[in-house]
Parts: sequence; C-alpha cells; structure tokens
Amino acid sequence: MEISRLPISASHRGKLISAGYTCLSSLSSVSSSDLARGAQNAWDMLHEEESLMRITTSCADLDNILGGGINCKEVTEIGGVPDTEGSFMVERALQIAEACVEDMSEYSRFLRNDIQACQVRIQPKDILENIYYFRICSYTEQIALINYLEKFISEHKDVKLVIVDSITFHFRQDFDDMALRTRVLGGISLKLMKLAKEFSLAVVLLNQVTTKYIEGSFQLTLALGDSWSHSCTNRVILYWNGNERYAYIDKSPSLRSASAPYSVTSRGIRNSAPSYKRIKMMMGPLQRNGVIFIDDYEQ
Amino acid sequence: MAPLKSLEREYPIIDSEFQNFCASHGIFSVEDFLINDLYELAALAEQQPTLERLKEGITQVLGIIDNQHQPWLNGMDLLEDALRNKHFLSTGFEGGTEASKVMVAFINLDGNAVHYRFERLSNRDHDWTERQLVGPFVLTFGVRLDLLLQGGFRAGQLTELVGPSSSGKTQCTDEVFAETQFCLQTAANVAVKHMGRVVYLDTGNSFSPQRIAHFMELISDLHFKQAKHKILQKAMSNIVCHSVFDIFAMFDVLCQLECDLRSQMDRRDYLVQLLIVDSVSSLITPVLGGSGSQGINTWMYVTGFRKLDFVTGICHIASLLKKYMGTGRALMISAGFLLKKLAHEHNLAVVVTNHTVGGEGGASKPALGESWKSVPHVRLLVSRNRGSSSCSVSILKHPSMASGKATEFVISEF
Repeated sequence: MEISRLPISASHRGKLISAGYTCLSSLSSVSSSDLARGAQNAWDMLHEEESLMRITTSCADLDNILGGGINCKEVTEIGGVPDTEGSFMVERALQIAEACVEDMSEYSRFLRNDIQACQVRIQPKDILENIYYFRICSYTEQIALINYLEKFISEHKDVKLVIVDSITFHFRQDFDDMALRTRVLGGISLKLMKLAKEFSLAVVLLNQVTTKYIEGSFQLTLALGDSWSHSCTNRVILYWNGNERYAYIDKSPSLRSASAPYSVTSRGIRNSAPSYKRIKMMMGPLQRNGVIFIDDYEQ
Repeated sequence: MAPLKSLEREYPIIDSEFQNFCASHGIFSVEDFLINDLYELAALAEQQPTLERLKEGITQVLGIIDNQHQPWLNGMDLLEDALRNKHFLSTGFEGGTEASKVMVAFINLDGNAVHYRFERLSNRDHDWTERQLVGPFVLTFGVRLDLLLQGGFRAGQLTELVGPSSSGKTQCTDEVFAETQFCLQTAANVAVKHMGRVVYLDTGNSFSPQRIAHFMELISDLHFKQAKHKILQKAMSNIVCHSVFDIFAMFDVLCQLECDLRSQMDRRDYLVQLLIVDSVSSLITPVLGGSGSQGINTWMYVTGFRKLDFVTGICHIASLLKKYMGTGRALMISAGFLLKKLAHEHNLAVVVTNHTVGGEGGASKPALGESWKSVPHVRLLVSRNRGSSSCSVSILKHPSMASGKATEFVISEF
C-alpha cells in the first residue's frame, strides 16, 4: 500500500516520503492477507437475506410494494409534500403507540383463535421509552451526531431503526458553499450506510421537495441535488393524486417501481379507505413521524 | 523504495559491507541506486577486494527493481497479449433488433495485411463465444448491447457506467437509476456463463442476491431443478461482495485483491474475471474539491480515524500528483490508476459506476469532473425509460468507436 493512499495527515506523509519510504512494505514485514476477509459471497448473502427482518409501515398496501416493509441494512429516503420538520410531538406519538398496542392484541387474537389468547403485556409507555430523541440545531451538530451514532448504537444494541427528520433542513438555508455541501452530504450518507450494514438496522431519511427546471418546465423533485439522489439505497416519493395520498418507489435495487395509496388516520398510517366510504379523517400535524414504529414490540 | 538496509533481511547478499560500499558513494536507498551511474559503480567496485560479492549485490538490487514493474513490451508482444488474454465478457442482455450482417476482421500476425470479410453470424450466444476464443477482432454495427460493445466488457479495460438520476415526477417518462441493475446482470452472466469469479465492491448496500439469483435463473436454461440448484450455488459462491464505505477501505480491498491474484496466478480455476465498483463516485465525492488539503480534512472530520492495514502493494510515486493537485484529486487519480493496473496485469474487466450532475444550460454531465474524464477507457451512459423495462445505453467515449452510438436492451422484470 502506498503512503499516498493512507489516511494520514499531509505533514506525516511528507516526512515519510522524504525519508525514502513510499510504500508500507518498506516499513514493516510483508504479510499478505486473505481475500475473503470481511467479504461474503452471494450464496451466503441470499440465505441471510431470507431471515432478515423488515419493519412494517402498518399500511398493508405500502408494505406490499416495499416487499414486506422497510428493509433493514438499507438506507431508505422518503420525501414529498407536505413537509414538516421539528414537529415531533409526544402526544401524537402516544396516540400512535396506543393504537399500536390495540392492533397488536387484535392481531395476536386473530392468530391464535383456537388456543387461549395470550395477553399482550406491552404498554404504550414501553414503546415510548424505546424512542431515543435527539434535537439538532445546525449542520455541524448533525455531522457530530452521526459520528456519535456508532458509539451510541454499540451501547444500545436494541436499536433497529434510525430516522432523520429531515436530512435537508440545515443544508438548504444559508449554505453558501455548494461544493462543501456535496462533500459533507456524501460523507454523511456513507457513514449511515455503514451503520445500517454493520448493525443490521434500517435507516430512514426524510427529505424535502424542490422544483427543478427540466426540458422547459418546472418539475417537483427531491432536494439536495443529483449527487444526493444516488446516495441512498431506496427512494420513496409521497405525492398527492387528487384527494388521495400515494407513495411511489422511485429507486430500489431489488423492488420494482410501484405506487400504493395510503391514508393518515388518528391511529397512524393505514390503508386508504375506498372513496365511497370516506369519512372525515383526522390529520395529525406530523404525519411522517407516525409512519414507522421502533423495534422490539414483536417479542 | 526502501532504504538498502531494510532489504538485508530478505536478500542476505545486501549485507553491511555492501551497504557501506554504497554509502561511501552516497547511495542509501534504492532510488539513489537508480540515479547513480551503474557502470561507474561497477568500476569502483573492481577496486575493492570483495569484488564478486559487490557485483552480485548490484545485480540483486537491479533484479528487485525489475520485479517491481512490468517488463518492457514491444508492439508484437502487446498484440499477442491482447489477442490471447484480453477476452470480452458478454453482458448477457437480450433484446433489440437482430443484427443481419456482421463485419469480421482478421488480423494477420505478420502485421501487414488486414483482411475483411462479411459474414452472417447466427444469433446464438455460443457462436459468439467461439469467435472470441479464436481471437480476431469483431467490428459490428448491430444493435444488441454486446454487439454495440464489440462483444461486451473487455478484459484489461476500465469501463464506466454513467447513470442519470430521476426528476421525481411520476407521470413523465424520465430516466431512472439503471446502473446497479446493469452491474448485477453482468455479474450474474459472468458467474454463470464464463464460470469466472466476480468481485463486487458495494458502497450503497444495493447488492441484491435475489436479483442475482433471478438473472442467473434466466440465463441458465436448465430443466432439471436439481442441477439448477447446484449450478446456482456454485455460480453464486463465485460472486464475492465487499461493502466499502470510504475510499481507503476500497484501496485496502484492491491491494488485498492484487496480492491474492499475484500469488494465485497459476491457478486457473479461481480466476477473477470481473471487478465491479458500485459506485466509485460516492467514494470520491466526499474527498474531492476544496482547495488542496481542505477536501480531505473535511472528510476526515466526518469519518474519523481509521486503522492502518499493512499489506504488500505496488510501488508508485504519487507525491508529485499531490503537490500539483489537491489531495482528493490525487486519491481519485490514484484509484483510477490502480483499477487500470489491476485490469491490465491480471486480465480483469473492471466496471465502475458514476452519477450525473447538472452542467451548463441544464444539461447533465457525468460527475467527478474533468480530471476523471480521461481515466476510464470506455464511458457509457445507461438509463432506463420509466414505465417500461427497456433501457438505453449510448457511448460517451470508446477507444475504437465513435461516440454517440446507442442501443436499447431489456432488463428482465422483477
């Protein structure tokens, strides 16, 4: 390995090269490493993937197009109108947690209707206890937090889902240096990918929309530019079609592009009701925060 | 290269006496050795009592230097190497209109005459492979993808797939991300049809074993389920996936790969034929840009310190690059160089993917800038037409074809 390809500071590198060392083998004894270190072949990965958990969005149509739910070990980006940031409200989370507990007891009853039904012992407050909430106020805090996440997750091994709402907020206003922005975002996305892979968790990033001038017309697109659009594994775009909300899979290595309707209810995200039966739905102010539930309630 | 005394352990002929002799003439490292006049040194050695040993020492050092780089080649050697070793790896894509006529050129090994012949080629893949083994060049104007690429990806060349991003609007027929599917399909094809090993470097967790299995099932048209399972297992075990999340990890993996390939050069059964890096732009973007050291510092702030791995590597002086470009760009060019070296020395086809950024007037151009433009041998623009499963590929740069040629092909449904 050459000195120029090592992650050391420029002054150290200069000193090494001026001393005549341009290659690491001149510094230490030569050892050849096994190619298989840290790698997996496709056959093993195929079997491993079959046992991988997916996190449900609690809307059956949406789960169907996602292949069962949000994939662990992948970074999924969700973006669309309307966008609301900084609006995580505990009351709303409690509402959704209660609805979740009710759903779970109903589901377990459905599964075991011939055996004596077991009590679902989990309480809504247990669910809320499992949500770790961080508030960030600037982009440096965002970078610092993402660096810190690795340490945090190795201490709290039960974390299965990381949500960033939203990844764009601190990078849009007053960010003059576009080149710096691309670099920093590139670094952040790689770090999140690494977290997802290493700890087998799902990472969900929320994004805003912007307009882009393409071929003579303005079109809605997700923010942060072209480089960012290649940085995540999956992309889901939320949009309105008339009065209905739809989610569309824009990019995915293993899912086909498809679209599914969903609706926002007081209990969270559910399948959209057919139009002739539609009653007035309650819209929470922070619909996207309710989409995903965090870990562990399946015990 | 190393100071002379570090070579002593491996080559005992370079003992302290030899080192003292060299030191008395101002030679402390192998580089100094090269700068000095060797005839003069040999003449000075003759005045010493231990003439034989000194001469042996000089020969040994020259031998070490020769081993570090490729031997000199003339045109005939290069041509023979190209015909014998640099095969085409077909990508396995079907679809598009059939080619009716194919122009085949045979090159006489006396170098003087080049004979052209028109032939109707059958559309089966077997015939295609046979032509490659014989070794002639095939020039085509057909529209299947392999025909467009003159047979597929060429061993010894670095091919770049540039894929545009989508605009986000769902109703219009825009282009969408297709590079990963392209890479997965090619990997599956090489593993099954050519029975070669594939090394896949994945930066975005987008390696999908199910898609690979799906492509392989389409390619190997076996009827018996038992045999299919066995072939699938064997082929999939030949595809190795590394997850790399920063550019230094990629250098690590590539150096280890080179080490391994060098030590396994005689073993034909585990030959790596294809190396895919998906995507190289996401590794380079965090380090590129800024003035000089600024780029690398920002990135290091984001990623933190890494452990150093000690492996054997090539000896190449890149400090000059660093002085005149930024550190980030030096890393990018260094990466390109390493990939091309691997491709040429070990007869691999190397495929990397890139994305596009906005250019002037709203037109998009490939990312990574002007310096990267000259690094790959072949540059292809790959995009999928939204709503249908057909993709189009057009040539941006090719060593033996005009740019602008395009064709369509079909990625099979999920």
